[in-house]
Amino acid sequence: MGLISYCNVGISGIAAAVPKQIINNYEHDLYFKKEDIKEIIDKIGVKERRFADKNTCSSDLCFAAATKLLDKMNISRDEIDLLIFISQTPDYRMPATSVLLQERLKLSTSTITFDINLGCSAFLYGLTVAYSMIIAGAVKKVLILDGETRSKVYSQKDRKTGFLFGDGGVAALIERGERFGKSWFSLNSDGSRESLIKINAGGYRNMSSNETVMENVVDEYGNIRSDENGYMNGADVFNFVIREVPKDFYRLIEYSGIEVPTIDYFVFHQANSYINGFLAKKLKIPKEKIPSTIEKYGNTSSVSIPLTIVSELKNKLDKHKRLLLSGFGVGLTWGTAVIDMDGCYITDIAEV
Amino acid sequence: MKEKLINALAEALEMEPSQIKQLDTFRDYENYSSLTELSVLAMLDSDFGVEIEMEEFNKYKTVDNLIHLVSGNSSK
Repeated sequence: MGLISYCNVGISGIAAAVPKQIINNYEHDLYFKKEDIKEIIDKIGVKERRFADKNTCSSDLCFAAATKLLDKMNISRDEIDLLIFISQTPDYRMPATSVLLQERLKLSTSTITFDINLGCSAFLYGLTVAYSMIIAGAVKKVLILDGETRSKVYSQKDRKTGFLFGDGGVAALIERGERFGKSWFSLNSDGSRESLIKINAGGYRNMSSNETVMENVVDEYGNIRSDENGYMNGADVFNFVIREVPKDFYRLIEYSGIEVPTIDYFVFHQANSYINGFLAKKLKIPKEKIPSTIEKYGNTSSVSIPLTIVSELKNKLDKHKRLLLSGFGVGLTWGTAVIDMDGCYITDIAEV
Repeated sequence: MKEKLINALAEALEMEPSQIKQLDTFRDYENYSSLTELSVLAMLDSDFGVEIEMEEFNKYKTVDNLIHLVSGNSSK
């Protein structure tokens, strides 16, 4: 199954924040020669990305976005009754970062808070949880805070992942409204592919130790990382995505009964420009309907879909627009959604 | 089919078709890397409709293996 539809609930506002430190990828020659990294960057299309400093967490980026959103939209802190924090780079292993954000944002202690620990598909998962809680009548206004500091996860000495990922945070306000009409979601998971994108140590299966933080040469190319750095098997992920993401796309289109040309924008997870270009070609979607931020923010995991909406669709969602969202990555998990936006308030991107 | 595969493989690996021989081990080409591997997978999918698990693909070593793969799968 994994197919869900909703009526009259949607996103009324989104804000985003990114770290102010810009990494110019072509000049990012700390460990590799410029001519070697050029080939990688040309293929993945990430020209710039943002890196949080040592003291800045995902939660700080989300806090900045949320503060801006609530202030600009003139939403009282008392009105928020559910806060969902989406991240795989939380502040602590416990407590959940969502609880810390309840206090920092001065939300009521009757606020429901929890974290969702998923990657590149997670914004879609977060939306379904928020929509479901609203439809169930449990809550009226939901704040989804979605943040990542992937720069702290991947080794800069591993060329397979060292040029791809960036940091960012968003805040989205979800509420009821007849203007939103119907929305449709398809969500999927395949744990047999858990090793394709993974941080092997630092959890409770392989607890942190002197060995797990030790950097090692991991392959014949001289890439270096520790067991607590992220690892990605790019070819396997690519091969999976080009097969399964189009299948899920058509599955959701069939389920929703809508016609593809009625979709105004297709917002894909910003994996890298090679994957995204391939998907666009395979699905025969016109380029002007595909907003992209891979060049300036890189792959920000779960943040990339809403960050792309804020960055590229501000001033384009005043009137009714239909969006298709497609997220895929670590887990592996993947999903597709069709949502209508109407009068969505979108802020400028804040720098932290 | 053989010619079509060789041309497509050459394009994916940024080589000349004349440099590609049926009995070559394509994984040994200088231009074969983790980056160009993506282009080969993309080419198999879009030009030949081949959907293949990596575990299976990793068993394919030679140009001839790929010719057999696309001959068995392609409806074109």
